[in-house]
Amino acid sequence: MSKEKKEKKEKKVVLVLGAIGSDIHYAGIQILEHAFIGAGFKVINIGVRRPPEKFIQVAKECNANAIIVSSLYGQAGQDCEGMRQECIELELGDILLYIGGKLVVGDVLPPWREIKKQFKDYGFDRVYPAERDSVSRAIRDLRKDLGLYKRMKRRRVKGKGK
Amino acid sequence: MKIKVSDTRIEERDLQKIRKKVLQFWPTGKEVDLESAIDFHRRLPKNKITFEKLLIGKNTGKTFIQPRGGVALTDDLIKLLRALEKAGADFLPVTIDSFTRENRYDAAQEGILRSKQSPKIPVLNGYPAVNAGVKECRRIIESVNVPVEIRHGTPDARLLAEITLAAGFTDFEGGAITYVIPYSAEVPLKESIKNWQYVDRLVGLYQENGITINRESFGALTGTLVSPCIAIAIGVIEALLAAKQGVKSISLGYGQCGNLVQDIAAIKALVSLSEEYMHSFNYKDVLITTVFHQWMGGFPENEYQAAGVIALGTLVGALSKSNKIITKSIHEAIGIPNIESNVAGVKISKQIINMLDHQGAFSNSDIEQEVEIIKQETRCMIDKTMELGRGDIAKGVILAFEKGVIDIPFAPNRFNLGKILTARDNCGAIRFLKVGNLPFSKNIIDFHKAKIRERAKKEKRKANFEMVVDDIYAISEGKLIG
Repeated sequence: MSKEKKEKKEKKVVLVLGAIGSDIHYAGIQILEHAFIGAGFKVINIGVRRPPEKFIQVAKECNANAIIVSSLYGQAGQDCEGMRQECIELELGDILLYIGGKLVVGDVLPPWREIKKQFKDYGFDRVYPAERDSVSRAIRDLRKDLGLYKRMKRRRVKGKGK
Repeated sequence: MKIKVSDTRIEERDLQKIRKKVLQFWPTGKEVDLESAIDFHRRLPKNKITFEKLLIGKNTGKTFIQPRGGVALTDDLIKLLRALEKAGADFLPVTIDSFTRENRYDAAQEGILRSKQSPKIPVLNGYPAVNAGVKECRRIIESVNVPVEIRHGTPDARLLAEITLAAGFTDFEGGAITYVIPYSAEVPLKESIKNWQYVDRLVGLYQENGITINRESFGALTGTLVSPCIAIAIGVIEALLAAKQGVKSISLGYGQCGNLVQDIAAIKALVSLSEEYMHSFNYKDVLITTVFHQWMGGFPENEYQAAGVIALGTLVGALSKSNKIITKSIHEAIGIPNIESNVAGVKISKQIINMLDHQGAFSNSDIEQEVEIIKQETRCMIDKTMELGRGDIAKGVILAFEKGVIDIPFAPNRFNLGKILTARDNCGAIRFLKVGNLPFSKNIIDFHKAKIRERAKKEKRKANFEMVVDDIYAISEGKLIG
């Protein structure tokens, strides 16, 4: 196998991670960063209070596979409704967009399935509530969405008979 | 006046004579067969035996939670108990209805019939265990996974004890004073003492066959401004009466008074005096445990205020290291709780217990020690900041953050060095996993290292970021230490 091919094969999945809009919640993305690194991904944590454009710009520069948006302050709707369109305009239309957190505010919150639909309509591929197991689910979904299980399977099959 | 009653142990043959009469008080008495009862108890798994669980709890410093609760029909009762168990109850109750407590088994029977006719309209305020009988009561024991206790307020509980002990209940509340003076108008003590000696001697009979049944004295009494000394004196007396009849496991109850110091002191005095008197009467092999009743007086109607009362009771029960806390519901002011409000009381109590699990009552010197440590650490940081600024605080602050002499964990600001890591020690206090550049003296650094090492050793894991993450999630998951 050529050196480039080997490097490409061993290349880690790159994630851009941050808290969007005016959200200052920092501890959560530190925990996410730690979890994603532990799962074998490369993480570029752009920090808190980042506009959508910053996520997309960094994703372009680093050839990221996915953008992971965290939002705990309830105003993600306003921050994110145009994000997929911006990705398309900046020629990153196919990038995986994930979002998780406390995504809405209100005296009576709509049921989760409605919140999920709202963000899926904005163009997010996966939407998660602010629960501890959302992290492990996101890791599993990333592997699925990026076809990593197939890659892992292919490697195992190739290894047989050697 | 010659008093005929005495505290001597009832001879077995005398007991068996009276048993024949007692078992005829209601037809279900026929179902009681001592041999099959003992066999049933022998086959109970340890997790369903009160004595076994209390013993482990006492040895590990655990404070258990137990609600009250009872309804007319067995299936509804099982539904209630399963909900309470799921909510975290360590021991379950079967609270007996008032007709049964007055031995009005015919009225209890009428109550059962009416309950069957209109299932949605509760008629009885508890479970009529005598009318239900041994077989039906056994269904209860078989339907749950923790020990179950009979809770009531019955001057003459002889038949109730026969039926429920035979059914597999491993804990039976009450005593000659605690279930008579607050729970009857006419019953004389010479009668109640004899009736409760019977119950204790029956427990003694089970004990002779290798089955340990726990007896609980109802020290909360009238729940109306009862001084600790009254509760404790009566508790010790009932313990001595019970031990005389062969009881080997006794819980002594105490009702919350409200002043933290007094309540914690009362439990300490209860433990100390009960041990002292039991020893002086030569009862050295009796397990004594304490039961703390959350506030037994009037409750506020508002559910949140009621939750506050429940929470305070749990705090005191935990700090006093009581072996068990009896919970109230958030509808205490209104009446017999429904499942949800009873479950709420259990969940409120469990959250607090789990957060105070590794803590306990503290002395002034514990606080003074911690004050000293905090002051030393703080002085190190402020003095170094002043030194860096050469007396100018503003300049000092900027340099202090730059060098990490002041460092805030998990701060987003890029001028915060972010080199420290904090996590809890085995008592839940926040200690330094990584001191970073904080200007601590060696003894402070060693102090924190030791505390974190102790926790890592206890939990058999490394002291690292995982520990920190677990601590961050802990309270939302119902505990203090991750």
